[in-house]
Amino acid sequence: MGRFVARRIISLVPVLLGISLLTFVLIHLVPVDPAEVYLRLSQIPPTDEAVAVIRAEMGLNKPLHQQYFDWLWKVVHLDFGKSFVTKKPVMAELLYYFPATLNLAAASLLIVLLISIPVGVFSALYKDTAFDQICRILAFIGASMPSFWLSFVLIYILSLELNLLPAFGRGTLAHLVLPATTLALGAAAVYTRLLRTSMLENLNQNFVLYARARGLKEKLIVVRHVLKNALIPVVIAFGMTLGHMLAGSVIVENVFAWPGVGRYIVSSIFNRDYPVIQAYALFMAVVFVLLNLFADIICATLDPRIRLGGDK
Amino acid sequence: MKTKKLLLISVLILAVVVSGCGGSRSTATGDKTEPKKVLTISWPLDVGPLNPHLYRPNQMFAQDFIYDSLVEYGEGGAVNPHLAESWSISPDGKIYTFTLRQDVYFSDGSKFNAQIAKKNFDAVLVNRERHKWLELVNQIDKVNAAGQYTLEIIFKNPYYPALQELSLIRPLRFLGEAGFPEDGNTAEGVKAPIGTGPWMLSEYKQNEYAIFSRNPYYWGRRPKVDQVVVKIIPDGETRAIAFERGDLDLIFGSGLISLHSFSQFRDSGKYQTMISGPVATRFLAINSNRGPTREHAVRVALQHGVNKQSLIDSIFYGIEVKADTLFSPQVPYSDLGLQPYEYDAGKAKSILESAGWVQTAGQEFRQKNGQLLELDFSFDIADDVQKALAEALQGELKKIGVKINLIGEERQSYQQRQKEGTFNLIFGETWGAPYDPHSLVSSMRVPAHADYQAQAGLPMKAAIDAKITEVLLSTDERERQELYRYILSTLHEQAVYLPISYSTNLAVFHNNITEVLFDPQKFRIPLVDVDIK
Repeated sequence: MGRFVARRIISLVPVLLGISLLTFVLIHLVPVDPAEVYLRLSQIPPTDEAVAVIRAEMGLNKPLHQQYFDWLWKVVHLDFGKSFVTKKPVMAELLYYFPATLNLAAASLLIVLLISIPVGVFSALYKDTAFDQICRILAFIGASMPSFWLSFVLIYILSLELNLLPAFGRGTLAHLVLPATTLALGAAAVYTRLLRTSMLENLNQNFVLYARARGLKEKLIVVRHVLKNALIPVVIAFGMTLGHMLAGSVIVENVFAWPGVGRYIVSSIFNRDYPVIQAYALFMAVVFVLLNLFADIICATLDPRIRLGGDK
Repeated sequence: MKTKKLLLISVLILAVVVSGCGGSRSTATGDKTEPKKVLTISWPLDVGPLNPHLYRPNQMFAQDFIYDSLVEYGEGGAVNPHLAESWSISPDGKIYTFTLRQDVYFSDGSKFNAQIAKKNFDAVLVNRERHKWLELVNQIDKVNAAGQYTLEIIFKNPYYPALQELSLIRPLRFLGEAGFPEDGNTAEGVKAPIGTGPWMLSEYKQNEYAIFSRNPYYWGRRPKVDQVVVKIIPDGETRAIAFERGDLDLIFGSGLISLHSFSQFRDSGKYQTMISGPVATRFLAINSNRGPTREHAVRVALQHGVNKQSLIDSIFYGIEVKADTLFSPQVPYSDLGLQPYEYDAGKAKSILESAGWVQTAGQEFRQKNGQLLELDFSFDIADDVQKALAEALQGELKKIGVKINLIGEERQSYQQRQKEGTFNLIFGETWGAPYDPHSLVSSMRVPAHADYQAQAGLPMKAAIDAKITEVLLSTDERERQELYRYILSTLHEQAVYLPISYSTNLAVFHNNITEVLFDPQKFRIPLVDVDIK
C-alpha cells in the first residue's frame, strides 16, 4: 500500500507543474493588459506612462519564461502576490474564504451520503418495485433542477412561507441547511442512480451466488460484499464532485449570501483580479489532484486488486 | 477495525460541518447594555477597509457613515456649512479660507482641527495621480493650517466647482490621527476607520456583515437608532425575500432589488415605498468617430427611432422618468429649453432615406453603397438592466432598418472598449449630484472615457474641450452659464447622446420605520433621522 501511495504522489509532481504552466499561459493569453487592469482598479488613469511603470513593477516586461519561473518561485513559497482590488495577500484571502466553502461542502457531502447510500441500495434490492420507480422519478427531477431555481423554491417554502429556516447568511447549523441541501440534491440524485446500477451489477456476480451457497445471511452479503464493491465507482466519481463543491458553488453561495470561495472568485473574475484568478486556478487544481489521490487510496483499500495489480 | 474507520470518517465530516456554526450570532457589539434600536439594511458588497481617501473596494455609503466633509451639498445645488462653519474666497478666486467648527471630535475622542485637516489633504495630494479624475485635486496647489481652526486651500487657478467637490464622499474627508499608518501614506491603507461622522464601525466580518454604532462624540444631530447593521447579500432576490421575512428593515438605493420586486412591494400595500427625484441620467453614447454613426443623420435618426416611454414602461415598470436631455433640467446650468428628439419612427426612416441609407424590398436592413447599416452595441453582460435595454433597443431599431450587433462582455473588456472607442453605441450614466454637470463634462476631455471617444468625430470637438476647460476656470456666473449652454446644446444638436431615462433611488421599508428621506447626493444613505417605532 505504501509503495502504491508513494508512486501516486510522485506522479502528481509533473501533473502539478503542467497545471501551473497552463494556468500561467492561459492568464497571459487574455487580451486585457494586467497592468491596465491594476491601474483601473486602483482608480489611476491608465496612461501610457503609468502602464509602463506598473508593467516594470510587475515584471511584465521580462521574457515570458522568466516571468513564469519568477512566479513559480514565489508560488513554491506560497506567495501568490496581492489582490489588485483589496491589496491583501491572495493566500490569506483564499484561506479566509475557504473554511466557509469547506463547511458547506462537508454538509452537502453528508446529505448526499445520507440520501444516496440507503436509497441507492434499496432501489437495487427492490428493483422495479413502486419504491424504485418513485426514486427513479425523483432522481431525474433532482438531477435536472437548476440550483438557482431550487435555491429560491427552498427559500420561498421553508424560509418565507413556513419560517423554519434562515434565508441567508452563515452562523448556526440552521443557516447551513438550505444551501447544503440545494448543493446536495443534484449530486444525491446522480449518486443514487450510480449506486443502484453498481449494486445491480455486483448482485449478479458469481461471488454473490457463492456467498448465498455458503449460506451467508442476505444482509451480510449486501453490506459486506455487494455494497463494498459497488461503492468503488461511486467513490471515484465522488472525488470529482467534492472537488466541484470545494471549488465553490458560485450560484448557491451568491443566493444564500454564503461567504465562501465561490463568491470571492466570481467577483475577482469580473474585476480581472489576475493574482487571485491565477492562485485560485492552481489552488483548485491541487485540491482536485489530491481528492483524486484520496479516491484512489480509498478504492485501493476497498479493493486490494487495484493496489496489488498496480504493484505487479 | 472497519467500524472504527467509518466512525472516524463520520466524525471528521461532522466536525467540519459543525465547525462553521458558531451558534446564533448576536447583533450586539459586545457591550453589556443591549442596544435599544437596531436598524438592519443590506448591501451587495463588503463595505471594504473604509479608507476615506481611496475608492473601490470601499463602499461610498459606508465611507459617508464614518467621515464628514468640509461642506455639504444641499437641495438645488446649494453648498451648506458642515465641518467648516463658514468660508471666504479671495477676489482672484484662488484662496479659500475655511473657519472650522470647534466642537468636532473624532470617534476616538481626539479633536478635529486645521492640523489634522491639513494632514488629510496632504495625504490625498501626495497621491495626486490616483485622483486625477477629480479636477479639484489637480487644481489644489497647497493647503495651510492658518490657525487652529482656520484652513486655507490655495488653488493653481480659480476653480468654480471647488465647494461642490469638497462635499464629495471621497477622497477629501477626514481620518483621525490614530487611523493614519506610520508613514502617513493612506494610499497603502489605514490603521482604523476613525472619523467625525454620525456612525463608527463597531463590528465587522468580511463579506458577512458590518455593524455601525452611534459615534458618541458626534457633533451634529444625534442619530435616532443606536446601531445600523449592514448585512452583505449579493443577490437582489434574496434581499427582497429577506426584507419580506423581516430580516431587513429597509432597502435603500438603486439596483439593490429588481424593479419588478419593487413594484410588487409597492402594489402589495403592506410596505412603505418611496421613489426619489432624478438622481442621474441613463444614456447611450453614440460614436461620432466610427462607422455609420459618423454621420449626423444616422445619429439623429437613432434619436427619433427609439420609443423611450415604451422601454420605461416595460423594463422600468414606469418607475423611471423619460429623459430628453443629457442632464435633467434640475441640474445646475442645464435648464436650457433644448428641443427634445421625439419618438417618430417615420421621421427616423425618412432621415435615413435622405441620407442614402435605403431599404429595398425583401431586405431586412438598410444599405448605402453596399454597406449594411449595422452598429456595434456594447454593454456590460453582468448588468441585467443594460442587457434588457440592449435587447429591447435591438428590436426597436430593427423597425427602422438598423442592424444592431449586441456585444455583451464582462466589465474589464467593456471598459477597454470604452477606452478604445471600439463601439457605435455604449451605455453610460451621468454621475449624479454633486458631480453633475461639471465632473462629467470635465471627463469628456479624457481619452480613456467613452464620452471622449464618442465625441472624437465631431468637427467642433477641440472647441468643446476648450470651452470645458474655460467653464471650469470661469469665475463669472453669467459667462459660465453661456459656456455650459454652448457645450450642452452642441452635444444635443450633434446627437452624440441618446438620453433614455432619469434614474432614481428607491426605498422600501416596513411600516414601523419612519423618517426615511432621500439625499440630493446619489450615493448617500442618510440614516441620522430614521427611527424605529
